[in-house]
Amino acid sequence: MPDGFHIKKIIQQIIDHSRWLDILIPHYYVVSIHLRRTIVDRRCTMAFKSVVDVQEKLGSVSYISSKEIATVVYLAGATKKPVLVEGPAGVGKTELAKSVAECLKRDLIRMQCYEGLDESKALYEWEYAKQLLYTQIIKDKINDVISESSTLAEAIDQIAGHEDAFFSHRFIQTRPLLQAISSPEPVVLLIDEIDKSDPEFEAFLLELLSDFQVTIPELGTIKAKTHPFVFLTSNNYRDMSDALKRRCIHIYIDYPAIETEMEIVRLKIPGIDEALLKKIVTMVARIRELDLKKKPCISETLDWARSLIALQINDLSPEIVTSTLNTLCKHKTDYDVVKNNILTVTRQTSQC
Amino acid sequence: MLKLMLKFVSCCRAADLRISTAEVLDCMEQLKLVDIHDEFQFKTVLRTNFAKSRMDQSKFDQLYHLFFYEMESNLSAAAEKSPEQLGMEAVIHMMEKELAGDDLDTSLMDFLSGNPLNYIGEVQAIHNREEKAAKALKSNMGQLSSRLEVMLKINRLKAGAVKFMGGNHANIDDSLKAAIENQINTRLESAYNLLNKEPRPDNAGLQKFSGREKHFNTIGEIPFSNLSKRETKEVRDIINKLVRKLEEITTLRYATNNKGVMDVKKTIRNSGKYLGIPIEIKYKNKPLRKGKIVTLCDVSGSVWSTARFMLNILYSLQICFSKVKSYIFISDMTEITEYFVEYNVNDAIKKIMNNTDINYNSMTDYGMAFQHFKNRHLNELDKKTTLIIIGDARSNYMNPQEFILKKMRERCRRVIWLNPEQEQFWSAGDSEIYTYKTYCNEVRACGNLNQLVDFIEALII
Repeated sequence: MPDGFHIKKIIQQIIDHSRWLDILIPHYYVVSIHLRRTIVDRRCTMAFKSVVDVQEKLGSVSYISSKEIATVVYLAGATKKPVLVEGPAGVGKTELAKSVAECLKRDLIRMQCYEGLDESKALYEWEYAKQLLYTQIIKDKINDVISESSTLAEAIDQIAGHEDAFFSHRFIQTRPLLQAISSPEPVVLLIDEIDKSDPEFEAFLLELLSDFQVTIPELGTIKAKTHPFVFLTSNNYRDMSDALKRRCIHIYIDYPAIETEMEIVRLKIPGIDEALLKKIVTMVARIRELDLKKKPCISETLDWARSLIALQINDLSPEIVTSTLNTLCKHKTDYDVVKNNILTVTRQTSQC
Repeated sequence: MLKLMLKFVSCCRAADLRISTAEVLDCMEQLKLVDIHDEFQFKTVLRTNFAKSRMDQSKFDQLYHLFFYEMESNLSAAAEKSPEQLGMEAVIHMMEKELAGDDLDTSLMDFLSGNPLNYIGEVQAIHNREEKAAKALKSNMGQLSSRLEVMLKINRLKAGAVKFMGGNHANIDDSLKAAIENQINTRLESAYNLLNKEPRPDNAGLQKFSGREKHFNTIGEIPFSNLSKRETKEVRDIINKLVRKLEEITTLRYATNNKGVMDVKKTIRNSGKYLGIPIEIKYKNKPLRKGKIVTLCDVSGSVWSTARFMLNILYSLQICFSKVKSYIFISDMTEITEYFVEYNVNDAIKKIMNNTDINYNSMTDYGMAFQHFKNRHLNELDKKTTLIIIGDARSNYMNPQEFILKKMRERCRRVIWLNPEQEQFWSAGDSEIYTYKTYCNEVRACGNLNQLVDFIEALII
């Protein structure tokens, strides 16, 4: 009987060759029933089975998803297509990717986009300094290689034979995108705020998103070992190109309906008073209808609810709302707007 | 199923939604994975593949409703036709004979018999029809009259249907007759709605700024149009200061730009000094971000008082960015970039006001101005360009031709609209700002100094 370490290694190998799993498991009597179950469990959690399954799994990692979100995530998983998530700030676009990673038990590789982001920061970079250092260190060795050649042309030929040593994987510094496709275990790749990047970067993503491969001139095309689950999020700062949209499945997430938001708050702050919860959520929904610079998002609702609980407040009078407004409004001007409309906001709430 | 889907796709295409073959393939693939008897899932799959931005979604919903609800009876693939359908076909056949039969008639009849494709195409063509340039007398009748023609046709068909039903026809009994009449009426109604109630796309990314921050107390709040002579001078001074600040910021950018990747060539060349050992590492300079700005400025009577300040701003923009193209328009459009390059700000504005080929007596017509821009200068726009439009969108009830703005938006990075009027007046009178707003990325009121400062800070910083 091999020790624990060995078993782990064997299991890893089996998972790596999971298409042989069904043939192997019945015959592999070293693997105990218990271990077999963990392998099967692990393989099952690697993919979604149906739309309902998506909803349940996302629910188990505390992400309340609408049916639309669940359908899209399921489709993306089944067809291995990237998902383009659009919506206002703070509705849980990034959170969706994180939750999918968590419930599929995959690593999350996140890439934040910004203006001026280029290939060398997103995909790969040659480590020139390291290359130079190596050339210095092995100078004598290079002399040995060319010592036998009599002419210059011959020497160059001889060095050319060893060129590969300098442009190999050893000297490549991988960045998020290359990491995501070269990882032996499938990962979730989150390309955050793609609308902030330049059009050039968007164009260069196309190859990656449609074929899951990248081309490095010195090394050739690198194909993905495993297909990452890709999420792209956008705040609609600018429109995405048609070519990019065509390769993705699109979903728009809006601010949640009152019931959904109540459910979210209930989940994150267990034991909150129902009456207070309803008042908070309706009031936030009313505030979102006002003309604000930045509308309060879900996390701000949560912050507000937490601070109200900490202050042990159960009734939301206009005075109390005004004095705790700082958690909801992050601009002085927004604060003033809500303050001016405080009566409408609170009155409508008490009617509800 | 495939046939049905292709029919739906061609309807969507006729209504100007861009759907590629690859997307149809994806959609069919994905339909296999979901439970298509669950309508919600079915619709989600279609929507997620065919309407890939928030702006397209409302249009998609309308078409989806039309196709799968109102035209529903024609979708069932049953071989046996119900008596109602048979009756309907007979009626349509009779009515077809009576009509003269130009393109529009045929497409309307097709619509009645459950094939909306041609009709949707016709309606879209009407929405996107460009006004012909009229020299002497201008009107907005072009689009309206073609709509009217369709509406009249619809009414005539309605009357025809009633008359036909009133007549005596042997093989149709009364209850069936009522059902058929009912269906014809609902269909004609939806044809009418399709023509007149085009859904406004939901512009999710629109950023609105009402500018409530107070940078300057009294002078900052006075609208540009109400400034006295002394105040005008004061505002001008402040703007000059702002412009200088802008320039400083741009030069700062030059200073911090050289932190890029290592330049191998230069490093090796430089290592010659140190016996071939690369001690000093050289970096490639990052090229400056080459944003382009195209500005369109309304200089008509209604924005006259603000126009001078706006031109002032255009001038300062031109100094700060390497590529700025400026145009002014009333109903024609002309380029003024040259003036700004050659003269100093005051002379340039004076020259612009006096000797350009703009007819200052004509009426403002945004639609026509956009059309001119599209025909002559559309290639100025690319994905790196920010388009800034300055004007009050008061277009004297002319056809706004907003689909041209849509086309322009598709070609550039961002569209920003600066409106010198305060927001409460936007919906009043002949202002088309609500029509145009749907196609802008950002709309700002920019009628006094405070708002102007807000805008400049947002643009640069």
